[in-house]
Amino acid sequence: MFRSPGVRPGGAPPVTRGDAHGIQIRDVWLNRGPTPLFCGLSLDLTEPRIGLVGPNGSGKSTLLRLLNGLMAADRGDITVAGLNARTHRRDLPTRVGFVFQNVDHQILFPTVREELTFGLVEQGRSRAEAREEAERLLALHGCGDWGDRAVDALSEGQKQLVCILAAIAPGPPILVMDEPLASLDLATRLALAARLARLPHQIIMASHDLDLLATFDRVIWLDAGRIVGDGSPGEVLPLYRAHEMARAAAQDTLS
Amino acid sequence: MMIWETVLAENTALETRSLVRIALFAALIGVLGLVPPVYLPMAAGVPVTAQSMAVMLAGLVLGGRNGALAVALFLLVVALGAPLLSGGRGGLGVFFGPTAGFALGFIPAALVTGWLAQRLPWPRLAANLVAAMVGGIGVLYLCGVPALAAIAHISLTKALLGSLAFVPGDMLKAVLAALAARTVQDSGALGNSRR
Amino acid sequence: MMSGYLAGHSILHRLPAGLKLFALALLSLLILPMDAPWRLAGALVLTLAVYAALGRAALARVGLLRPLVPLLVLMFVLQAWAGDWTSAGLEAGMASVLRIVLMVLLADLVTLSTPLQHMMDALETVLRPLRPLGVSPRKLALAVALVLRFVPVLLSAWHAREEAWRARSTRRPSLALIPGFLADTLRLADRVAEALDARGFGRGRGPHAE
Repeated sequence: MFRSPGVRPGGAPPVTRGDAHGIQIRDVWLNRGPTPLFCGLSLDLTEPRIGLVGPNGSGKSTLLRLLNGLMAADRGDITVAGLNARTHRRDLPTRVGFVFQNVDHQILFPTVREELTFGLVEQGRSRAEAREEAERLLALHGCGDWGDRAVDALSEGQKQLVCILAAIAPGPPILVMDEPLASLDLATRLALAARLARLPHQIIMASHDLDLLATFDRVIWLDAGRIVGDGSPGEVLPLYRAHEMARAAAQDTLS
Repeated sequence: MMIWETVLAENTALETRSLVRIALFAALIGVLGLVPPVYLPMAAGVPVTAQSMAVMLAGLVLGGRNGALAVALFLLVVALGAPLLSGGRGGLGVFFGPTAGFALGFIPAALVTGWLAQRLPWPRLAANLVAAMVGGIGVLYLCGVPALAAIAHISLTKALLGSLAFVPGDMLKAVLAALAARTVQDSGALGNSRR
Repeated sequence: MMSGYLAGHSILHRLPAGLKLFALALLSLLILPMDAPWRLAGALVLTLAVYAALGRAALARVGLLRPLVPLLVLMFVLQAWAGDWTSAGLEAGMASVLRIVLMVLLADLVTLSTPLQHMMDALETVLRPLRPLGVSPRKLALAVALVLRFVPVLLSAWHAREEAWRARSTRRPSLALIPGFLADTLRLADRVAEALDARGFGRGRGPHAE
């Protein structure tokens, strides 16, 4: 356990990871524009490391957005760390941190310290407290002197690390990640993957990096909003790989 | 100021998206002052940048209120010291220089440009163009010229004559802003579609 | 970091931001009615001495006034002309040029000796009494931070577009780049707004809430 989520005055009842675990999705329906995407999707997500695979547009990103409250389901129930996603949507960000692919779309502040303190201040902590907490987090992750650095001067990998630290700073027990390592070079990707492996959080990650997903506990294969495969990486990934290669071959002959 | 009350009000639900658009447009105004994409014959030795065009665009693309807020935010960041005003000037000194009236005039310029563009009953391009000319040139000079005259202790006529050198460039910018705004308005980038 | 601040430990750096801003306002009230060129020149020499005392980097800032020079020359000529090139006219021209340079340099002295965060804090103090009226300095601070963060991002996006143009054309990158750049900026704004919502900003007022 990294840290129990802070309690906001007037917010949701305090829920620690002890009394509610993981994510339950029950019969979720969602239209994307006029076309249905999820039709009665049900999933129990309790494993510490869960990967989502599937072609672009298969619903991976949408599913992640439902978990963090960026989107709401048309019908059905989602429970995240004991919170009902519909009735407590505004509190979901305190339970689920979100890391996106493109760092330049998510780092909001010019310096590392401001970036890390933002989420904490949003939770209602004092600025001084938030700064202290940010320093503690940076030191814990071996970046003790990063506080004053300009985000613009960091490397891509360092920026993504800042994004991850900013997401875990407010203490959510769960992290959802939308292709967080896709735009990084191989060495940086491996280094960040090793860091992620050491985090105590439950991680749900959409990725095309099958080598990384092979180290996960569970992989879910989505296509057009339906679950095509669900199981250990050893079961799902070979099938997915074979299917995608067949698809590539088909596209090749079409052109 | 009335505009600030609207953006700063904690209980008025200024959507996250409007806030971010205002901030990113303020950044864009700064960026278009740093890169000089308009290669006009140098007017009085001052390189012409696209900054005043960005002000017209703020009004046309974000609308009067949010456009003016973007400009006001931009000027605040300049006042705080960011070297973002055309040619890399920044800091409080900007507001004591002879062109202070033009800098502050950016705010009503964007406001009027956006307000007019939404109300003129003409085809989009024509409405954009007239709004950009009235707001981005008329209103801007209405603020800038008297201020120049006052700060420099010269007569209004002389201040106006001195400023006229910039008008042809500004006309060209109004045309370009009207065209660029129409492209964006028609592309749906402003719409509410999100995946 | 993109700001006009020059790190240092001078007395000027150690003064509180609010005091410096107040002093600047007071000085401007003193200087604006001054008409004697020799007085203004004296004040200018004093100000330049402060820049010199702050070091080479500060003195280099004076050079940033170069874009103002053509306008200042024009102003001087116009005023001297209005005075029929008499000594009174020349003096009036000198005075207004000196007054502007002096005020700009004094104001920039505050900028270069005050970190941006301290300026923001001073601004917050000014806005605090307005809080009962519903004014939120916190939102303003967020907006300012976003501008500072995204100027370099947009600048590099612009250069990337320029490069893509140059890779395929021998003509100069033109304003044809602007509509695409604008659309990119608006899309970026949507992504950033989403990232803000994902971190619990403006809770429950997400784009899909309504």
